[in-house]
Amino acid sequence: MLSSRFTPLRIAGAACLLLASQAMAQGAEPAPAPETEAAAQVAVTPGDGRHGTFKTVQGDVTVVRGSVHVAAVVGDPLHATDRVLTGGQSTAAMVLKDGTVLSVGPDSVLDLSEFSFDSTTHEGNVLVALARGSLRMVTGLIAKLKPEQVRVTTPTTVIGVRGTDFIVEQRP
Amino acid sequence: MRLALPLAGLALALAGCAPATRVILLPQSDGQASAVQVQSGQSTTTLNQAYDSAVLHTAQALQTEQLSPQAVNRRYSDLLAAAPLPPRRFVLHFELGETQLTADSMNELTEVLFAANLRPGGEIVVIGHTDRVGTQVANDFLSRQRAAAIRELLIANGFDPRRVDAVGRGEREPLIPTEDNVPEPRNRRAEILVR
Repeated sequence: MLSSRFTPLRIAGAACLLLASQAMAQGAEPAPAPETEAAAQVAVTPGDGRHGTFKTVQGDVTVVRGSVHVAAVVGDPLHATDRVLTGGQSTAAMVLKDGTVLSVGPDSVLDLSEFSFDSTTHEGNVLVALARGSLRMVTGLIAKLKPEQVRVTTPTTVIGVRGTDFIVEQRP
Repeated sequence: MRLALPLAGLALALAGCAPATRVILLPQSDGQASAVQVQSGQSTTTLNQAYDSAVLHTAQALQTEQLSPQAVNRRYSDLLAAAPLPPRRFVLHFELGETQLTADSMNELTEVLFAANLRPGGEIVVIGHTDRVGTQVANDFLSRQRAAAIRELLIANGFDPRRVDAVGRGEREPLIPTEDNVPEPRNRRAEILVR
């Protein structure tokens, strides 16, 4: 029975798998061979392959992707090789797929140079380049597994992490 | 957390000859030890206390200093204010021996949607887990399929497919550690992260 506080969930399509499928009886039988599992394959609605999402946008924040400049809006995607530009008194925060938080301060130029993440194994890498301005990073699952896989660079420094929360400021 | 002390006598460390680069270690929210290593040219320094700072002035070697929390919070107030909300976690359970969610867990899903829709740019990550019965490969597949089915349910109820992910963690993160091939229903669950 569904709570009367909320609109009841509509059950549709592949989601019926959750309610109508036969017991896959894990623990009651030997695990089925992969061919049997394939019969239960869920038809997956695709995402957009993003590496991060904008969570806060204050003032003038632009994403540069290739040669295209787009005004950033909360909920927008971030992809590896994107550049984030912030104007005066403008800030943004993005969360990457492994939970890494990137906050960007005013008058900044930040590149998400590299990002890869295997959500099953937590392997991956993060390379962020701060050309100018300020950044606060809170590391996520990639650093938790292998801290050496996360790096921040500025024109003058290379920063390595050990599961951290830190600020970097770079003067132009 | 940090005390709100008067701003009189503000540390001058952040004014004056402005450095090219500054790195400041912040305290971890879970109180765990943390560190950053800063390397510039030939010199390297490690920061391992909260508010330790590495400073690089042009044509000089790296220096370290300790800053006051008040000075850091003041100088970087805009940056620190840009932080997103911390994530929320839910745990859903399956009926014993089946892929069907319990009634309570179906209720939890409405709560999940509500929580995600409240957040600017809200995302949902559905993470399937299994016990250790069966091979690792089979459990990776099974946990992924269960997470995918829950994801499809969230999408069918109007959530943006670009902001919901399905992850299979297989047998990697048991709630209750067991020997291999030991059934443990409490490990057969879906964890949902809303961020």
